[in-house]
Amino acid sequence: MAINPVPDHVPPEMVRDFSLFTSPGMPPTPNGDPHAAVACAHDGPPIFYSPYNTQDGRGTWVITRAADQRKVLQDTETFSSHRSIFSSILGETWPTIPLELDPPAHGAFRSLLSPLLSPKRVTALEPAVRERAIALIDGIAASGTSCDVMKDFAFPFTVSIFLRFLGLPDQGLDTFVGWAKDLLHGDDVERPVAARKIVAFIDELATNRRKDPVDDLMTFIVQAQIEGRRLTDGEIRGIGVLVFVAGLDTVAAAIGFDLAYLARNLKDQELLRSEPDRILLATEELLRAYPPIQLIRVATKDIDFEGAPIRKGDYVSCATMIANRDPEEFESPNTVDLAREHNRHAAFGYGPHRCLGSHLARREIVIGLEEWLARIPTFRIKEGTAPITCGGHVFGIENLILDWS
Amino acid sequence: MRIIVHNAKCQGHARCWAQAPDIFKLDDDGYILPGDIQVAEGEQLLASQGARSCPERALEVDRTSAARFEPAAMQPRTGEA
Repeated sequence: MAINPVPDHVPPEMVRDFSLFTSPGMPPTPNGDPHAAVACAHDGPPIFYSPYNTQDGRGTWVITRAADQRKVLQDTETFSSHRSIFSSILGETWPTIPLELDPPAHGAFRSLLSPLLSPKRVTALEPAVRERAIALIDGIAASGTSCDVMKDFAFPFTVSIFLRFLGLPDQGLDTFVGWAKDLLHGDDVERPVAARKIVAFIDELATNRRKDPVDDLMTFIVQAQIEGRRLTDGEIRGIGVLVFVAGLDTVAAAIGFDLAYLARNLKDQELLRSEPDRILLATEELLRAYPPIQLIRVATKDIDFEGAPIRKGDYVSCATMIANRDPEEFESPNTVDLAREHNRHAAFGYGPHRCLGSHLARREIVIGLEEWLARIPTFRIKEGTAPITCGGHVFGIENLILDWS
Repeated sequence: MRIIVHNAKCQGHARCWAQAPDIFKLDDDGYILPGDIQVAEGEQLLASQGARSCPERALEVDRTSAARFEPAAMQPRTGEA
């Protein structure tokens, strides 16, 4: 894995030994708390340079303050979102869409997809989401007094909802989750293999839907028009890959971290179980405390940003988990307070690329917690087991065995 | 009280709408409708909470217009904007 040397324009005093990939708590850690671990970023200067802070070993500027992340993510002219994060795994440069397009090209694609995931549309999807949660949890409750939350609930729940949205059968679930794992957490050999499989799958799906249209997202995309023309094959692939990758891992990880928190904090667990009306607000706090995503931008020009000499081509990291622990934005940021109000957290990013699926993600988490707490009695981490957490581009949790015997 | 809507900054988080769907109306894509919002009496707390929930800082609370309709003594200025 190549590690780029620190560029000459970065003052040595701005370089910090900090990385979302290699710092303590970031590699797979039993009983880890990677979100708490990265809060140490606030012990130093508000902006610094990390020599190793992407999956492929690049250095990035690290923006720690929520207010500064807002500035970076809102200023798409200076901080481009086109960094080919997926296609670069294949040695290519095409953008995932709309995430890696900048305005104005971004707008047409975003407008095309926004109505599909709008608050209104998500409200209409809610009964199906709840039904899926109830079916899974009832099955878990009926089969014993412990389960592997990620394997038995978080992944099947979130991925099946999203497969239905995409128009894919549930049978593909394990295969798709396997691809996502290899893509996000795999090594240099596994990642390109997974990326190639995903691309081939999306291309084939597009071909099939062109031939035999059905009522699903891919059919919508192959039939859609922007600015009076059909989408190109590359654009269809860019959208398909983004939607596929974005839906596979993030919400499941959030639900896993949330249930792990509640398993370890029984007072809060009991509060939400006895007063489920609190779950809506509590979910915002859990999104603040345990967001899974780092956002990367590329400087389009030289700029001195809040004292940092950022130069054209530099990578700029806006890690949502760091902004969400900013003491200037949140009182007692390292305390989880499920009744926290005015919680303007950064879990879904800021600016034009605000997570398109945020409304669906929120509903899935709220419904998942509501139905879990309504159906599973007081639960703890199973004695003798330890959930394994990891940092990285997308934070994750595995081997979360809950017990309610 | 009035909510000044900075439409260019709205990115469709819909947090205002989640707080107060009758005050903050969204278009089909989930972005706030253009135009400032005159807040009825009795809805001021809800409206200011909605405005304060915007992650992009696209909503600004303007209390000066309310002051015109009511005696100054009834409407202590909080200095919040």
